[in-house]
Amino acid sequence: MTPFELAEPLTVADALRFLDPDDSTVRPLGGGTALMLMMKAGVFRPTRLVSLRRIASLSRITALPDGGLVIGALTPLSDVEHSTEVARRAGVIVRTMRRLSNVRVRNVATIGGCLAHGDPHMDLPPVLMALDASIAVAGRTGKRTLKVENLFAGYYETVLKRDEIITELHIPAQGGRRAAYLKCTTGSADDWPALGVAVSFEAEGSAISAPRVVVSAATEKATRLNGAEAVLSGATIDDALLARAGDAAADEAETISDVRGSAPYKRELLRVYVRRAVRQAFEAERPLSSPPPLAREGREGAQGGAH
Amino acid sequence: MPSATMNPTPSPPALAAEGRVATGPQVGRSLPRLEAREKVTGRAEYTHNLRLPGMLYGKVVRSTIAHGRIRSIDASAAKAVPGVYQVVAGEDVIKVIPHPYYGPAFHDQPILAIGKVHYVGEPIAVVLAEDPHVAETAATLVVAEYEELPAVYDELEAAQNRVLVHDELKPAGTFADLKHLKGVRGTNIALDYQLRKGDVEKAFAEAAHVFEHEFRTQKVLHLAFEPFVSIADYKGDRLTLYTASQGPSFVRIEIARLLGWPENRVRVKVPFLGGGYGGKLYIKLEALVTALSMIAKRPVKVSLPMEEVFYTITRHPMTFRIKSGVDEHGRITARRCEVFWNGGAYADIGPRVAQKSGFTASGPYDIENVSIDSYALYTNQPPAGALRGFGVPQLVWAYESHTDMMARALRIDPLEFRRRNITREGGRHATGTPLEDAAVEKVLEHVAARMNWSKPFDRGTGAVRRGRGLAIAIKAVISPTTSVAIVNVNADGSTTLYCGTVDMGQGSDTAMAQIVGEILNIPAESVNVVPRDTDVTPYDMGTLGSRSLFHMGHAVKRAAEEARDKIASLARELGLPKGSNYSVADLFQKKYGMQAGNIVGAGVYKPDYVPPQPGTGLTPNVTPFWMVSGVGAEVEVDTETGHVRVTRLLNVCDIGRPINPKICESQISGAATMQLGFTMFEKMHFDGGQVTNASLADYKIPGFHDLPAAFENETVEAYQSNGPFGGKGVGEVATFCVSPAIGNAIDDAVGVRLTELPLNPEAVLRALRAKENRPLEDA
Ligand SMILES: Cc1cc2nc3c(=O)[nH]c(=O)nc-3n(C[C@H](O)[C@H](O)[C@H](O)COP(=O)(O)OP(=O)(O)OC[C@H]3O[C@@H](n4cnc5c(N)ncnc54)[C@H](O)[C@@H]3O)c2cc1C
Repeated sequence: MTPFELAEPLTVADALRFLDPDDSTVRPLGGGTALMLMMKAGVFRPTRLVSLRRIASLSRITALPDGGLVIGALTPLSDVEHSTEVARRAGVIVRTMRRLSNVRVRNVATIGGCLAHGDPHMDLPPVLMALDASIAVAGRTGKRTLKVENLFAGYYETVLKRDEIITELHIPAQGGRRAAYLKCTTGSADDWPALGVAVSFEAEGSAISAPRVVVSAATEKATRLNGAEAVLSGATIDDALLARAGDAAADEAETISDVRGSAPYKRELLRVYVRRAVRQAFEAERPLSSPPPLAREGREGAQGGAH
Repeated sequence: MPSATMNPTPSPPALAAEGRVATGPQVGRSLPRLEAREKVTGRAEYTHNLRLPGMLYGKVVRSTIAHGRIRSIDASAAKAVPGVYQVVAGEDVIKVIPHPYYGPAFHDQPILAIGKVHYVGEPIAVVLAEDPHVAETAATLVVAEYEELPAVYDELEAAQNRVLVHDELKPAGTFADLKHLKGVRGTNIALDYQLRKGDVEKAFAEAAHVFEHEFRTQKVLHLAFEPFVSIADYKGDRLTLYTASQGPSFVRIEIARLLGWPENRVRVKVPFLGGGYGGKLYIKLEALVTALSMIAKRPVKVSLPMEEVFYTITRHPMTFRIKSGVDEHGRITARRCEVFWNGGAYADIGPRVAQKSGFTASGPYDIENVSIDSYALYTNQPPAGALRGFGVPQLVWAYESHTDMMARALRIDPLEFRRRNITREGGRHATGTPLEDAAVEKVLEHVAARMNWSKPFDRGTGAVRRGRGLAIAIKAVISPTTSVAIVNVNADGSTTLYCGTVDMGQGSDTAMAQIVGEILNIPAESVNVVPRDTDVTPYDMGTLGSRSLFHMGHAVKRAAEEARDKIASLARELGLPKGSNYSVADLFQKKYGMQAGNIVGAGVYKPDYVPPQPGTGLTPNVTPFWMVSGVGAEVEVDTETGHVRVTRLLNVCDIGRPINPKICESQISGAATMQLGFTMFEKMHFDGGQVTNASLADYKIPGFHDLPAAFENETVEAYQSNGPFGGKGVGEVATFCVSPAIGNAIDDAVGVRLTELPLNPEAVLRALRAKENRPLEDA
């Protein structure tokens, strides 16, 4: 690692001034957990890092009156993990945290870093996409908002410009929606996932509506699976439906091979995990008066041990 | 002068042997590690923290190709970086060390590549600078050009000798069984070990059943938390090395050889190690920093980032072809073993792995006819060496999987099949050496009882199926090897121990202090164990192969006994009546008229040994002791994803009498955990000789969430009759059986047999699908 300049501005406006639209060696710094790995590996050699950590306004969690949440981009993952408001309004996020890396990383890594890094192996982006979250982005020419779903452009690529900063994450009110995230590792339990599957939907009795199904880690970028969503949309949940949703997902996703598994294997995993994720969301967050649970199958959970 | 006021610990009684006991027994105490407080408060000394005045940092430039001739190395851009002191390549090394090749078995490894490179990651140059960041930046600017040659990665292909890694073999001359390889050309085989007992072919022909299987293991590595680090300080006619090494004596001898110096001009200092596991044996960075310091005429430090550890030393991948003949009563009558060890580009200790582990390839079984061929092979991969078990975990993976496969085919319960075939106490191992103090039967029965093997077992429902498996194994200790120790009793009665065993986290300092304490009847805590320094601590062959507690333990015991006897004769010389209560300090006071003098005891230990007969490998005494362990495993297999969860892992070991039971238990659990990673998911992935997951971000080791819910680590009641206080080694023994026990449990759960490690989910699902006749597409 070579020496570099570290800027520690106190406001977003100052931070933006330190960034440079034309220089790829200048970057914002959140928790630094991803950046440090890249710097150690020599794939990123910064001349200047602009730390956002002193911008106090960026690390708050706010519960909105409409049931939504606003989470500052500099909020450490562990603050989100332990927030009672997040647990109440978007419990799936808290459940996802338990197996997201380890406590040391969660204490340091930030919400903004998770999103801006564009690494398809991150656990939170698919969950946030399933929750239809959006982000606020500040640039020199003003602010814009962006759906998380539209943030990722490719493998480690986002649509953010070099002189833009994510300031906030907005999670809309979930109402009665049910959600689940399943992380599948093929190495150690705290490895990055070989596959992530996030789902959310509304359920009226056994009828599913407005489903969102997202695959990550096994694909180039976190991606919504429209085919699987179409199978689920308006349908009545039963074993056959789940199997069809899994098959649709497996047909449509373009899985890629890496040290965590081959593309064909990940496709099989996806088939199983979509089925299990929908089932888990349906059962785990089932209101008291709903129909009896479906036949039990393979055991795992967002924090359970599919490893 | 009453000594009690001088010495905070109670002064030891002069004549402990005569029955006046001031402290309780020291051997058998679960004494916490002596250095624990120092370590957790960050005060323990490690080579990484050391800086010498005027020191330069070296950054290694590595080969990007697996095999080729070096056309040129252009360092001009690197030299132009402000702050760069020098860029050193192989030709510069030759000027200070004319024959810069090292290695314990072969003198095959150059300090920096000369003429050719043999694997991706081989050091070709070093950039020196006062600022390590400058060295690092400049190192990226060194450009090498190569003429690429075909490379060979697989051990079976290497055995064909079509692509040759080295032009000529260069055995070191220290091992008799390698001498015949000197100057041999046209081969990749760095050792062909043979054992021949009985007539295997005849027995196969007469057998009721013959089984033949092939097993493979993957490339994994040690990953000690402290990466390799060495500092050399060359001062013209003296050299001091500060290094994270498991074998300071070997380092001294080998560096002295390279320099053509007497041993006493080379000093090797080794503080605590942050783990070793066999990786930090022999020469790693020591020869490199020596050459660099000679060239720069300044102290030089090289410390590797974790990423470069992947290109330094690894465990041997292996292919094992095993064939057994069984009679109509389920007794194994013959076994042929062919083992191919993938040693990588340099031999390191690979040929010893091939031989010293090779001879146990037929297992703890009583088999009339045995034939073993074990080949150490060169390939164009990062070198392989010793790793916690010295090849035995790979062998056991094969032969204990094979045992279960035969039992299943014969419809004999796997426990019962083993009962019929194990070698019992006093029986003979395939080498002809008797199995004495080797609790094979006891360990097997202990596993069976604790697993409730005869009781019904819940096999799971739906997608999740349950199964259980067991395995048993033996290992010999590398022999013959020597340890020397010195015990120094000071004038106030306090005691200092000088021994070269390196405490790399295994707790040896504590155990050795307990042995001294036991003999001298003083608390182990009061013994000062001197940090390893070859100017001070005497010779030891190395901290390896579970040998230290036995060999060094004996040497330490003898040294302490000699000191004790000298104390007793001093008392006699001073005319003190037997049973008088003079303290040791009083004796010195009386003898010298003041607090003065020392009593020094020395101890040497080298076990008896009979070299194996060439050709047959037979010998009545191949090892001073046997290590024995067994494992019982219970698993849950997710048949839709291939995930295996080890729900119970029972490790049972014969470690003789534990000197420090608590430390022994953590050695057992630690070894089993490490092996669990090697079994379930650890794997170095390669692409054209390049490691594609060479970092802790992508190469994962087990964490707490990976431990089995029930993780039991036990020992059987045992006593090693020729061991110090009945003890023997414990560092490796719990690594042997983990892989096959889990593989056997998977077969028990879902009826598929994996023959290659790791047992990762994709491998399991592929096997399940193949069995169901709907195979998964190839990757
Ligand atoms: C050992 C280890 C294991 C891990 N395992 C997992 C895992 O299992 N699952 C998982 O999901 N993650 C895992 N992570 C990744 C971790 O979640 C990411 O490193 C983390 O989310 C990045 O956050 P950060 O704040 O540290 O980002 P940084 O490293 O600071 O930044 C990452 C990128 O985002 C940019 N950036 C940061 N903040 C902003 C902002 N506000 N606006 C614009 N750009 C910004 C930076 O310029 C940089 O390009 C692991 C990390 C480590 C080190």
